[in-house]
Amino acid sequence: MAMRQTPLTCSGHTRPVVDLAFSGITPYGYFLISACKDGKPMLRQGDTGDWIGTFLGHKGAVWGATLNKEATKAATAAADFSAKVWDAVTGDEVLTLAHKHIVKCVNFTQDSNCLLTGGNDKVLRIYDLSKPEAEPQEISGHTSAIKKALWCNDDQQILSAAEDKTIRLWDRNTGEAVKTLSFEASVSSMEYIPDGEILVITYGRTIAFYKAHTLDPIKTIDAPASIHSASLHPDKDFFVAGGDDFKLYKYDYSTKEEMESYKGHFGPVHCVRFSPDGELYASGSEDGTLRLWQTAVGKTYGLWKCVLPEELSSENSDALYCPAAEIKA
Amino acid sequence: MKTPVSVLRLPRGPEPNSRGFDPNSPRYIALCPTTIPASQGNKADSVNLEEEQQLRSELRECFLRSLIAMTDKQVQFNLYEKVQVQAKFGASDIDVLNFQVSDLQTPLGVQKEALLRCQDMISYSFHL
Repeated sequence: MAMRQTPLTCSGHTRPVVDLAFSGITPYGYFLISACKDGKPMLRQGDTGDWIGTFLGHKGAVWGATLNKEATKAATAAADFSAKVWDAVTGDEVLTLAHKHIVKCVNFTQDSNCLLTGGNDKVLRIYDLSKPEAEPQEISGHTSAIKKALWCNDDQQILSAAEDKTIRLWDRNTGEAVKTLSFEASVSSMEYIPDGEILVITYGRTIAFYKAHTLDPIKTIDAPASIHSASLHPDKDFFVAGGDDFKLYKYDYSTKEEMESYKGHFGPVHCVRFSPDGELYASGSEDGTLRLWQTAVGKTYGLWKCVLPEELSSENSDALYCPAAEIKA
Repeated sequence: MKTPVSVLRLPRGPEPNSRGFDPNSPRYIALCPTTIPASQGNKADSVNLEEEQQLRSELRECFLRSLIAMTDKQVQFNLYEKVQVQAKFGASDIDVLNFQVSDLQTPLGVQKEALLRCQDMISYSFHL
């Protein structure tokens, strides 16, 4: 019996949510960090959306946020010209890395020892977190503000997307650009899938997939509206995307067909990511909320409970909350 | 007409007066080395632990009383970038993130009411 998707709304932010990231799977589950223009990034339990804590310290909009695999460290990029590293267990600020302009993105290496930053001063910086006072390695080349930068190829290379409508692949050691891709429009988002070395990028209404090592194109899909972010499921059977029309779209990766679309947000969707186990995906919106969506609608997982029709009318259903219409948290 | 998926409850939102990161959560207890060195030891250290906690409580109480003593007094603040300002201290917020002050003397003039961010301060002093 087909069921209707019930998104879980995570409230708490007071301004648009512009970035989000999941950690890996840890002995305590997995976690989610959200970057918000209210300057207060939040950490949540990944499978329930329950708030764990707020990282206090930035003095401006937070544009980028990330967690390391173990969810022990967090990093944020903000409009106050700084990137910060946090202890993700205590919520304490560990390091402030001053920049000369708005910082837009941050990314840890797999061993959490180095932090990559990028922002409006067009320079990529690599910080050695064991020697934070040391000058970072700088990589220049982009001619406009950097929007997103990621480690790839076992942290030996860096992928960056900028307002100059290019994506560049850099060698980490030489700092040289290995390859450059040019687009007609500015790239709105980038996701790197290490297992399979796939790069997911969005620009205009297009969701495009590339081979991360070579930047050779794999396939492109055009959506009904301008897309701001997309994410590929870990099993690579489908991907989700969201953008200007407030909806979340789900596509079959092999056939490129649109499978479903979901309404729920009250503003454009800025970011969407699958959880590390692929059971749900999270979206962040201009409406200031994060929403969690089930991959397999109706499955018992996290706060979602699979209920058979007979159970709904029995006494056992007291603990269940059955939404008649839109849930507004 | 599809049935919507049931949920056990809604995700918990932020607490209004706390920044979270519950120190009693299993993850915190497992991953955080305690800040009190004495408590990492064995039973013999429990005496040291008590003593250390006692000293910490005393210091904390001293600090809180100093804030009370500072109320309505003229305080000199040493800020970063070699800036010094003077103001009448009003109150601190619960997390000691901001100080509410009046008649803040700044290089640009006197600000009748202001909030000073504690993270911007290096030190402050006042006469008892």
